[in-house]
Amino acid sequence: MAGRVDISVEFGGVRLGNPVVTASGTCGYADELGEFMDLRRLGGFVTKSITARPRKGNPTPRIVETDSGMLNAIGLANIGLERFVEEKVPVLAGLGIPVFVNVAGETIEQYAAVVERLAGEGAIAGFELNISCPNVKKGGITFGTEAGLVKEITAAVKAACGGKMLMVKLTPNVTDISVTARAAIEAGADALSLVNTFTAMVIDIEQRKPVLANRTGGLSGPAIRPIAVYLVSKVYREVAKDAGVPIMGMGGIMTASDAIEFMIAGASAVGIGTASFVRPDCAVRVVEGIESYCERHGIGNIKDLIGSLEAG
Amino acid sequence: MADNGTSSGKGQFDAAVRENRLIGERFYKLKLEFFGEGAEAFEGFRPGQFAQVDISGTALPPADSIPDELRDSAGRDVLLRRPFSFTDVTSDRGRTWAELLYCVVGPSTLRMTTLQAGDSLSVIGPLGNGFWVPEGKKTALLVAGGMGSPPVQCLAKMLAKDYPEITPTAFAGAKRAGDLPFEGRMDEVSREIGFVLKEFGRHGIESIVATDDGSAGFKGLVTDCMVQWLTGNSAPRKEMIIYACGPEAMLAKAAAIARERGIDCQVSMERRMACGTGICQSCAVECRVEGSSETVYKLCCKDGPVFDAREVVFSDRE
Ligand SMILES: Cc1cc2nc3c(=O)[nH]c(=O)nc-3n(C[C@H](O)[C@H](O)[C@H](O)COP(=O)(O)OP(=O)(O)OC[C@H]3O[C@@H](n4cnc5c(N)ncnc54)[C@H](O)[C@@H]3O)c2cc1C
Ligand SMILES: Cc1cc2nc3c(=O)[nH]c(=O)nc-3n(C[C@H](O)[C@H](O)[C@H](O)COP(=O)(O)O)c2cc1C
Ligand code: FES
Repeated sequence: MAGRVDISVEFGGVRLGNPVVTASGTCGYADELGEFMDLRRLGGFVTKSITARPRKGNPTPRIVETDSGMLNAIGLANIGLERFVEEKVPVLAGLGIPVFVNVAGETIEQYAAVVERLAGEGAIAGFELNISCPNVKKGGITFGTEAGLVKEITAAVKAACGGKMLMVKLTPNVTDISVTARAAIEAGADALSLVNTFTAMVIDIEQRKPVLANRTGGLSGPAIRPIAVYLVSKVYREVAKDAGVPIMGMGGIMTASDAIEFMIAGASAVGIGTASFVRPDCAVRVVEGIESYCERHGIGNIKDLIGSLEAG
Repeated sequence: MADNGTSSGKGQFDAAVRENRLIGERFYKLKLEFFGEGAEAFEGFRPGQFAQVDISGTALPPADSIPDELRDSAGRDVLLRRPFSFTDVTSDRGRTWAELLYCVVGPSTLRMTTLQAGDSLSVIGPLGNGFWVPEGKKTALLVAGGMGSPPVQCLAKMLAKDYPEITPTAFAGAKRAGDLPFEGRMDEVSREIGFVLKEFGRHGIESIVATDDGSAGFKGLVTDCMVQWLTGNSAPRKEMIIYACGPEAMLAKAAAIARERGIDCQVSMERRMACGTGICQSCAVECRVEGSSETVYKLCCKDGPVFDAREVVFSDRE
């Protein structure tokens, strides 16, 4: 880290060396991107969603590219809790940065069971609750769109966390995201992450069929960034700032400037998702860019940047 | 000698464009040069492996040189990298050259036509598992459908060079003469097997082409052409192997032909890819589990793109 600027942040009780974190599902379970960058240079690592049992995921095509973005309908394909504990947790222990395990499920009990099993693992700093996956029939987004359910699941999982940090990942597929944000905070969320993908569809006009086998998918990438920046700014102003709950902002971040927009809007940390597919070392470049921005603007402590949006 | 078709040490490298040349209606050959660590990594490139190429920063050609059928979609932005295999990789004293054969089908491949000597491209690779050579093989049938020819060409060279005990024969198929991605006049090639395609002939390998409409070579499916050849060949099936790359329907046929005759068969699969490195789970290939009726999804980019044909549940969707 360049000496003069302090870019470390306090995030829901966990100290991150810098605000840049991997977004769930785009950087693997543990060290898969280790060949492309030094993971220790990141602020933290968020794993792919883990479910109690292994999931095969959806049939293909699972992705399709659109202008400045992509749709995915992976369907939470993952190796399941047991293999994760056996094969990946030991690797995560060696990463040397705070690790957040993203958890998904079909029932509240399943979510809680995964968290309970992992709560005792010293390698894990906290959890991200995925109640915003648009690509599974049961669970996922259904928990994330109703304030009552958000409260119920957040409280149940928080109770199973063994005191570890809990971040709730919000879906943008709601009328008013501040309502679900408030529900999560009231139920004990230590942090919020937003946004997950936007439900979307691409049609093959020759066959007049959806391109994705799942029909719909979640839109990510630069196409969603201005909406994501707006939603972070809204949740920060309306809910999170006063509650003192930090936000991890994400959606289409490709460069340090994009990340800085999110931070000015109110995010304490930022997640790098789709960009890692294009540039596997993107997250490290964003860290470097944030540092030099702070130097250029004479910002000695990055806290002065967070939520610094002028009224204008 | 058996080998498992993998190499170690993938990475993200800059490659210099050395040449970009039109070789057929819509086919181009792009020569790339790697240096330093990139040269080292790609020196170990195995036939059937591939690379993820970033074309997002490459310009479109002028409007009047965009083919009519691509005019509408051509302006679409490119975000994700695109997967390509190589037809030939050579190394000499710390430098490595890779030849990429591509067909113009959409926004990225259209942009690639404007690349010129001296341009630089970001390439991730080598990725995936290539073809492997099981013990005891003496006859190899190389089957290339349409744009499936690049990895098969690369394999042809390796077999000729490293496996003198194996006699390969190449079968190249397409809908019509203009869809055959080889140099030379396809409509004038012989209907008989022989040194028909110089891409194989230069390695001393005989070949035959097949087109659905008979505009070049054998009239009919390349797999039918292969069946005819097999009927006239009495070599022990155990000593044979079929290597195939092309449309999934063709791979399914080749796999069925191989299964019926007890011939080993490897297929190189294609899926839409985002990462190419086993992370995003987008490139699922449905595979059988031995001794069970269940299937699992393997990843085309990581577990493939080359699979043992017996394993794959072919789909008509992609
Ligand atoms: C392992 C691998 C190796 C490859 N090697 C070569 C090669 O050596 N030479 C070559 O020319 N091409 C190769 N391809 C195919 C190549 O990646 C695509 O042609 C390229 O991505 C097209 O990009 P585009 O932007 O021009 O067109 P796009 O708009 O991306 O695609 C053109 C059309 O093809 C469809 N499509 C795109 N990707 C796929 C897919 N994976 N499966 C089914 N349909 C698809 C799209 O829906 C669209 O209709 C390879 C693919 C894979 C997976
Ligand atoms: C291929 C793919 C897989 C994803 N998988 C998950 C997942 O398993 N769990 C989750 O919470 N979010 C998942 N996401 C959502 C991302 O973490 C992120 O919220 C979203 O993509 C927006 O950020 P981006 O535009 O930078 O990608 C996935 C996104 C993509 C593109
Ligand atoms: S393309 Fe991402 S896992 Fe295969």
